[in-house]
Amino acid sequence: MVELKNISLSFGEKLILENVSFTIENNLTTVIVGPSGAGKSSILKIIAGLWRPDSGEIFFNGKDIFKMCESEYQTMRKKIGIVFQSNALFDSLSVTENILYFLPERKSLTDHELKEISERLLNFVNMDGTGDLYPEELSGGMKKRIAIARALAFNPKLILFDEPTTGLDPLNSASIIELIEKLKESGTTSVVVSHILNDVVELGEQIIVINDGSIVESGRIEKLITSEDPFVNKFFYRLIKHDRIMKSSYNMYELVNV
Amino acid sequence: MTAFRNLIYDFEEFGLIIRDLLSGIKTIRDSWDETLTEMYLIGSKALPLVLLGGLFSGVILAIETGHQLKIFGATSLISRTVSLGMVRELGPVVTGLLLAARTGAKNSSEIGAMKLSDQIDALTAFGFNPVHKLVLPRTVAALIMFLPLTLIADITGIFGGMLIAYQTFQIELAWFWDTAVNALKMKDLFVGFAKPFFFGFFISTISCYFGLRTKGGTTGLGKNTINAVVYSSIVILILDFIFTKIVWEVL
Repeated sequence: MVELKNISLSFGEKLILENVSFTIENNLTTVIVGPSGAGKSSILKIIAGLWRPDSGEIFFNGKDIFKMCESEYQTMRKKIGIVFQSNALFDSLSVTENILYFLPERKSLTDHELKEISERLLNFVNMDGTGDLYPEELSGGMKKRIAIARALAFNPKLILFDEPTTGLDPLNSASIIELIEKLKESGTTSVVVSHILNDVVELGEQIIVINDGSIVESGRIEKLITSEDPFVNKFFYRLIKHDRIMKSSYNMYELVNV
Repeated sequence: MTAFRNLIYDFEEFGLIIRDLLSGIKTIRDSWDETLTEMYLIGSKALPLVLLGGLFSGVILAIETGHQLKIFGATSLISRTVSLGMVRELGPVVTGLLLAARTGAKNSSEIGAMKLSDQIDALTAFGFNPVHKLVLPRTVAALIMFLPLTLIADITGIFGGMLIAYQTFQIELAWFWDTAVNALKMKDLFVGFAKPFFFGFFISTISCYFGLRTKGGTTGLGKNTINAVVYSSIVILILDFIFTKIVWEVL
């Protein structure tokens, strides 16, 4: 669906990304994981078109986005939704107004049709009856769900999530993860940037480990916890430890039963 | 050298905003609701401020010139001085400075807060141009509202001067009003009514520019809001000088 080839980005003398290449497969949840400041969110901002890399190419459905004409580029952009870490909801607008704000055909739809769209999206994110509230009246988890509903308003094919569970309690984190899984069932591809191991385990069908602006490892979780790379070993230490405990308990169980 | 380079960079960034603004004029129909809201906020909310600013400018102008003219026995010229002074200079400049403080601070802090909370990035990410969505409605609203507000400041200023002339210099109210109005020529009205358009345009674009380049958290937001007001005010004074110079030497 989206292919990044040799993407490099720097601010002044500070190198943010160096020759980053990977492919986001259709209907597969990709999780970009790494420590704070590794360059994860920069990748997301480049895919969303907020930042332009110094070098490299990005292909969307086989087309180089930097060679697209303006109308092609705008059409492509409408296929990508984004959920910011800070949610970026418009605080002067109600929940319904926030959800409908980016709807391209907003002006041509009747009030009844707009209400229907808003209610359907609120229902999808389990936030029925909150349309008249304002962002300041919502909890962190609720804001996140509204941000997801807003991103879904124009049926994007790809949704980018920047640290979707950071700062949320375990229950809210679980509900956001459930929502991302629900999106996959409805045919939307998700890219999740996170530094939380639980998100990686729960969501990652394709995991990209990034450190100091470069990809150090990629693949499924089973591959990562057996990786020889020292950084990956260190980053996934808790998972690897947990995996070893599980394996030794299983071996013990087998030994006892034999 | 770095400061000079930064200045050039700032001008380039400001130029890009003006370019985006002009290229997006056709999209104003999509942002008409926002424009009307901004017109309401600029107009009705700034009205008491402009009324007071205009009134006291006229009052002070009448007192100061009245006492000087009295020395030469020419208090009858107060009306002419007040009306020309208000319409050509004080009305537009006082309104401009008051609105630079009020509207400039509002634009810069609002857009700056949106920038800090990723709302500007959200607009861009969902395919909207922030200049079309945020700067254009504010600028059009300023262009529409600054002239009536300046007119109100002019009228209240002349009215204030008239009261002072009556109370302190015993000049008949009707005579004052007649001579004040008759003193104004087409050239004076042109200068007085052209200035608000330029002032409105620059106050709005400069303040929005500072809002859009906000970074550095709440400290950065405060700093940019101050800069928006300071730079808008300075530009008003410079533009006023240019206008005055052109009017006296060219027209």
